[in-house]
Amino acid sequence: MQLGFLVDLHLCMGCKGCEIACKVENEVPLSTWRLRVKYVDVGTFPETKRTFTPLRCNHCENAPCERICPVSALHYIENGIVNIDKERCIGCAGCVMACPYGAIYIDPETQTADKCTYCAHRIASSMMPACVVACPVEANIFGDLEDPSSNISKYIQAHRDVQVRKPEKGTNPHHYYVGAGQVSLNPLASKREEGYNLFNNITTLPLGGHH
Amino acid sequence: MVHETLAATNAVVTLDVAIPDIFWGWYVTMNMWAKSIGTGLVFMLFLLLKKNSSEMNGLRAPVMIASFIFMNIFLVFTWLDLHQMWRMWHIFFYPHWTSAITVGAWMATLFVGLEFVMIAVMIRKEKCLLTKEPTAFFDKTLFWVTLLAIPVTLYTAGIMAEATARELWQMPTESAQMILAATLSGSAAIILLGGSKLSSETKNFFGAILGLSALMAFIIYMSEYIFGAMKAEEVAAILGYVKGDGEYATMFWIGQWVAYILPMILVALSRVSNSSSLLNLAAILAIVGLWVVKHVWLVIPQLLPMS
Repeated sequence: MQLGFLVDLHLCMGCKGCEIACKVENEVPLSTWRLRVKYVDVGTFPETKRTFTPLRCNHCENAPCERICPVSALHYIENGIVNIDKERCIGCAGCVMACPYGAIYIDPETQTADKCTYCAHRIASSMMPACVVACPVEANIFGDLEDPSSNISKYIQAHRDVQVRKPEKGTNPHHYYVGAGQVSLNPLASKREEGYNLFNNITTLPLGGHH
Repeated sequence: MVHETLAATNAVVTLDVAIPDIFWGWYVTMNMWAKSIGTGLVFMLFLLLKKNSSEMNGLRAPVMIASFIFMNIFLVFTWLDLHQMWRMWHIFFYPHWTSAITVGAWMATLFVGLEFVMIAVMIRKEKCLLTKEPTAFFDKTLFWVTLLAIPVTLYTAGIMAEATARELWQMPTESAQMILAATLSGSAAIILLGGSKLSSETKNFFGAILGLSALMAFIIYMSEYIFGAMKAEEVAAILGYVKGDGEYATMFWIGQWVAYILPMILVALSRVSNSSSLLNLAAILAIVGLWVVKHVWLVIPQLLPMS
């Protein structure tokens, strides 16, 4: 079994329901996110549009976080999920440095690394991840990539524009996007300007590290 | 490069609360800086043994103690940087050998342990089982400790290489920079520690190592600065922080001048004028400047958004 995720960006409307469901399900502390939806505005007024890209751990086949973890706190489980043992983590932040997707953070309550686990605890009880259940438009498709009859396998077969983030890093992500472009997947393809943020002025989290 | 499409798309991130920018800050700079001095001193002591062992008298214990102190500074800052520092023991009981952090921790521990034994033997002046005299034991063990100092110096480059998306941190260049940092700071430190115990010829020898290390490190930095951007858009974006009005441009050039350019000039002048004062000044500047160049290079790849 090799579990994977696919997000159809044609369907995603940026409601952030998945973010909230993830927060509640996994008791993710304030100011941290296992899953977040990135908004990128493209074009010049009045010809503008907004893109929405849910970002979470990619559960790479060749995971840099698993490789750099000095104590095997980050480890693979038999269904392909890159899981984390928070009791073993020493908080060295090597995984934070190694992840090319910025998907790992230090939990301010436990002072250990944390990230999306594809809701491994729910899957163990034969339930779907919380974000999949919460999505009102079924943009999140989850399943076994090795099973040709699974929804995710069928979806990948039916669509030509299936992409992953940063394929050049050789991480072989098990997280796919349909309908994505450079603007959605490449962090360097869009500007990050002061004063352009919706809702608040927070651009980075005031956590961790010794500046 | 996608950068060129930006003007056309005018794409602006309007909502994304990314992870913190600088995660490994000055604690990790202290780690690399102190380790460079600690291992560099061992390299220089070994060179002194091979070049002129008679000048080792009175320097064995002091230089090894200085190295031991800097290695412990390195270990303390490494430990302080952990968010769960009391779980440090996990690295020895649950080691994961693909991690450069694990390999480095084990080797550094062995290195510091051997240094402790060598210091203890020299201070207690006890006859050893393997050799008749403490100095003979010290000199024989120094060879193995010097060998061990090579991977202890290099493993940080391995950690940086395992940071997949930080394209500025490449194993070949970082390895060279780590070794050069050790020879630069080690030669500088032994010049200052040796004082009148070192002959002017030996001081000039270490001065040459200092000057050449500075030159080679400077060449590598300038090569990255000028040509790095041609290879990858991520490198180009990172180097933007040290070019023009970049956030770290001033700090970058202060580091280059203090660590490399001024010491090179001062070493050359000291040889012309046979001045140990100029050499000492070059040594002090190199040690101070090394902290700055290490810090800039550590920080700027972390400023690049990953998401």
